[in-house]
Amino acid sequence: MFETYFPIVFLLLVSIAAGGGLYLLSKFLGRKSPESKYMDTPYECGVEPVGDTRERFPVKFYLIAILFIVFDIEVVFMYPWAVVYDRLALFGFIEMLVFIGILLIGYVYILRSGALKWD
Amino acid sequence: MIPDFSMLMPELFLFLWAILVFLIDLFFLKEKKDVLAYVSLLGLAITLVLICIVPEGRTFGTSFISDGFAFFFKIVFIASTMIAVASSGQLISRLRYNRGEYYGLILLTTVGMMFLASAGEMISLYVALELTTIGLFILAAYRKNSVESAEAGLKYLILGAISSAILLFGMSMTYGVTGSTDFARIHDVIQMKLNQGIIKAAWDVHVLGLMMIIAGLSFKLAVVPFHMWAPDVYQGAPTPITSFLSVASKAAGLAALVRILIGAFGIDAFMDDWGIMIAVLASLAMIVGNISAVLQSNIKRMLAYSSIAQAGYILVGLVAMSRYYSFNNTSPWDLGVSSMSFYILGYMFANMGAFAVAIAFSNHYGSDKIRDYAGLAKKSPVLAATMSIFLLSLAGIPPLVGFLAKYYIFASAISAGGYLWLVLIGLLTSVIALFYYASIIRQMYFVEPATDEKVSVPPLLYATIGIAAFCTILIGCYPQPFVTLAEKATSVFGG
Repeated sequence: MFETYFPIVFLLLVSIAAGGGLYLLSKFLGRKSPESKYMDTPYECGVEPVGDTRERFPVKFYLIAILFIVFDIEVVFMYPWAVVYDRLALFGFIEMLVFIGILLIGYVYILRSGALKWD
Repeated sequence: MIPDFSMLMPELFLFLWAILVFLIDLFFLKEKKDVLAYVSLLGLAITLVLICIVPEGRTFGTSFISDGFAFFFKIVFIASTMIAVASSGQLISRLRYNRGEYYGLILLTTVGMMFLASAGEMISLYVALELTTIGLFILAAYRKNSVESAEAGLKYLILGAISSAILLFGMSMTYGVTGSTDFARIHDVIQMKLNQGIIKAAWDVHVLGLMMIIAGLSFKLAVVPFHMWAPDVYQGAPTPITSFLSVASKAAGLAALVRILIGAFGIDAFMDDWGIMIAVLASLAMIVGNISAVLQSNIKRMLAYSSIAQAGYILVGLVAMSRYYSFNNTSPWDLGVSSMSFYILGYMFANMGAFAVAIAFSNHYGSDKIRDYAGLAKKSPVLAATMSIFLLSLAGIPPLVGFLAKYYIFASAISAGGYLWLVLIGLLTSVIALFYYASIIRQMYFVEPATDEKVSVPPLLYATIGIAAFCTILIGCYPQPFVTLAEKATSVFGG
């Protein structure tokens, strides 16, 4: 039992020793650099950041993306259906009509409730 | 090749009706949209008729079961949806947006619950559960300009997602050791392994899967320690939705739990395992729910904690089922199932009635604080009297349904044997419950009102409160037909 798992335990100990050791070494041996406002920037010697990352932009983009996924999946679902269409026969055809019908109601709902209006 | 659709008639009809509600809202009704509540009620009434005439059996392989148990729970879902829809009128006409979505989503959620009660297989159970909860997330956040409502929706979404993940993990473990998602098949496989004595190696995985399924569904039931979301969500959600959550959603979670525990894990070797798990959950729910309810100053939070405690009482019936089965193979679970079903029936009318009074009160005064209920008896004798009836029924006072339900459920636990401690906890915590229910009654009757402005209640809401109060008294005084109805639920899992 112990023999089988010993390499894993050993690796765990080595990685703890390596990670912790390097951290402690740099703490004791490293030079203390003076505090400056550049220490806190994401790229100390890069281009100065412009603006905030948390920018606000219209929720419509998300809406379009979500709606796209729905109809994208619809098409994806049709490929395997088309491949075995001859074996599914009329039953498969009606099933697909029901599926498209449900999504069509969704499409009518989207159009009518104005989700696709940009302004 | 084409499966039998006749058993799905109620679900399919209600689904189409929900879409109809969406479309009516979109294309007609520019001004007078209050008609949507009546359209929804009509659809629910027709569904109720369909539920009564639908044949029993299984369809879509074994994934859809139509039996007495499903029949009873579907009636509970439809009735509680009707009460929720009927008490939403004022909320909807005040908020003035997305009315079709509100009613449509309530109906779709109900469809999900109906599928849940009929699920005979884990995948369809999970899909039905998601259909139920996703609709409820949106409905909880329906007052989108209120911070509390948005918080309620988000909290419910996150915790609902976590609980679904736990449930799925448990299901996948069960699938891993049995090789099937079908409840009856899982039952047979485990039984076969037990008979051949080869289950020992994977025993822990079976129990772990069972535990995770119970934990995942306990979130939906909001029993301690999976109850943390309930008070915040109940307080933030629109009150009709809170009332719907506290009854229909709980009943749906319970139906799913019973389907899995009896259908898949209804084996002697497992009965004691999940029996004790449910017993611990039930006792914690009764203790924590009742004690926390004493400290609340908001009526919705108080009713939330009270409903946590009530879920504990309901689970006592499930505990009784586990013991009863292992002792007596000839008439399994009858008393447990029927007492649990009867309790849900009584709890539905009392709890949704209490919420309906709270809706009428807050629509008029804009407050949910218990302090503001002072002197309600002078301002509106009818509201105060009906509220007292509902609260006394929840506490379990004799002429009302709550007493019979508690008596029935404790009797089933005692007859099962070995769970006397659970009954004692139930009885002791009932005393605490009486204290906080009675303190509201004291507030309404013996404290002087700050103003004596009369309450005006719309007729539909009045009718709802009246029917709920009537049923609470009627079932308490003349329980026989309702006990017969609850006993229908015992014809489970036979077909």
